[in-house]
Amino acid sequence: MSETPTTPASTPEPAPPRPRWRIGEDWAATVTGLVLLGLALLGVIPAGLVP
Amino acid sequence: MAMHTPGPGEDASRADGAGATGTADGTAVGPDDTAGGPEGGVTGDGGADAREDADAPRGPGAPLWSALGLLVVLALAAATRFLESWVPAAAEGSPLGGFAEAVEYPVYAILLGLLGNLVLSLLGVRDRLAPAFRTEFLIKTGLVLLGSTVLFDVIAQAAGPAVLQALFLVTSVFLFTWWVGGKLGLDDRLRALLASSVSICGVSAAIAAAGAVQARREQLAYTASLVILFAVPSIFLLPWLVGVLGLSTAQAGAWIGGNIDTTAAVAASGAIVGEEALQIASIVKATQNVLMGVVAVLLTAYFAFRVAPAEGGGAVERPGLRTLWDRFPKFVLGFLAASVAATLWSNGPAADPQAGLDTARALRDWFLIAAFTSIGLEFKLGSLREAGWRPIGVFGLATVFNLAVGLLLAVLLFRGFAF
Repeated sequence: MSETPTTPASTPEPAPPRPRWRIGEDWAATVTGLVLLGLALLGVIPAGLVP
Repeated sequence: MAMHTPGPGEDASRADGAGATGTADGTAVGPDDTAGGPEGGVTGDGGADAREDADAPRGPGAPLWSALGLLVVLALAAATRFLESWVPAAAEGSPLGGFAEAVEYPVYAILLGLLGNLVLSLLGVRDRLAPAFRTEFLIKTGLVLLGSTVLFDVIAQAAGPAVLQALFLVTSVFLFTWWVGGKLGLDDRLRALLASSVSICGVSAAIAAAGAVQARREQLAYTASLVILFAVPSIFLLPWLVGVLGLSTAQAGAWIGGNIDTTAAVAASGAIVGEEALQIASIVKATQNVLMGVVAVLLTAYFAFRVAPAEGGGAVERPGLRTLWDRFPKFVLGFLAASVAATLWSNGPAADPQAGLDTARALRDWFLIAAFTSIGLEFKLGSLREAGWRPIGVFGLATVFNLAVGLLLAVLLFRGFAF
């Protein structure tokens, strides 16, 4: 997590380079859940494999 | 956790101006971080992340520790599945048989998580393993899969009362917490964090609010600690009160979903009451989650136009549609999509549509159990000692208010709800 100084008098530091692209945890969970659901419905994850 | 403590209730300018917090404590959570908002990257949404980023292990050994942490979570989840079937069978016929039958899997999961937390802390490896304890990711994935077990007509039926409850509850609890925080002299930014976390969805809302108001990092840490402190006992207390009050499963789910702050704890508590309560609790909580974006925009506007100019600042991000979308909990879309897909699938031409849905339900249970064990593994009592009594008092009063108003709304709005 990058940080921003709050003290107005402080010298601003150059922001660290941010990744060009990254997936948020929210999207990661959404995609993971939907992919797993699709695999379960299509039988790629066979019934009985998950106890 | 090394945290300097200017006291969360201190005036912000005093704390900052004193320069007492020259390290990470003296920094705000800038809007660009999304302060861990939904877009905040893989570390963005977890409550512990805000507190522990600085402590997280780095270097070449970090992936190995993370893998070990994941193994710990999986092992505890497997132990939970074992206990939930073994304990009732072993206790059958004994005086404890009825009690053992009534204990649901979230209880085992959280207790095992707390036990694991203690053991790992004693061994001195807990913080190294902590990056694998992804409660938020696990619970959100579990909730997306939960969507596949909720027929879409249940969501459609519950949507009206859930939206009404969320609007009334979020507004009243937010304003009450803000008012009490003001009476006890808390800093405006801490008031915003406490009010958001109690009224909406715990740590995620606090993180979103922290980005909106540029709160100091330790204020977010205090708030996150308070959320966990109050959420863990609520997981067990509310199902007990549901029995005492004689609420229906829908009312119980609505009350739990509207009161417990963190989504994972809501799911755990709802699951203790039962499957139907879990479904309604998740729908109600998801509805509250959606309001996080609206509150973040309003807070951003308030601090940009009222607070920052008064403090001689003005660098607060201006709100807009982009902010609204950034704070929108995307997993809610996944939850709805999964429900629609499962409803269509169960009415489709597949020879045995239930087989795939059963697999999805089993996966859902594994993700939920892993999330519940992570609640126990992430729990830290130590940082609360640094919070001081005023934020705890505000949080406690707001929780009591939330319980009372939430009970009234749940009873009224979900009266006669039928599955």
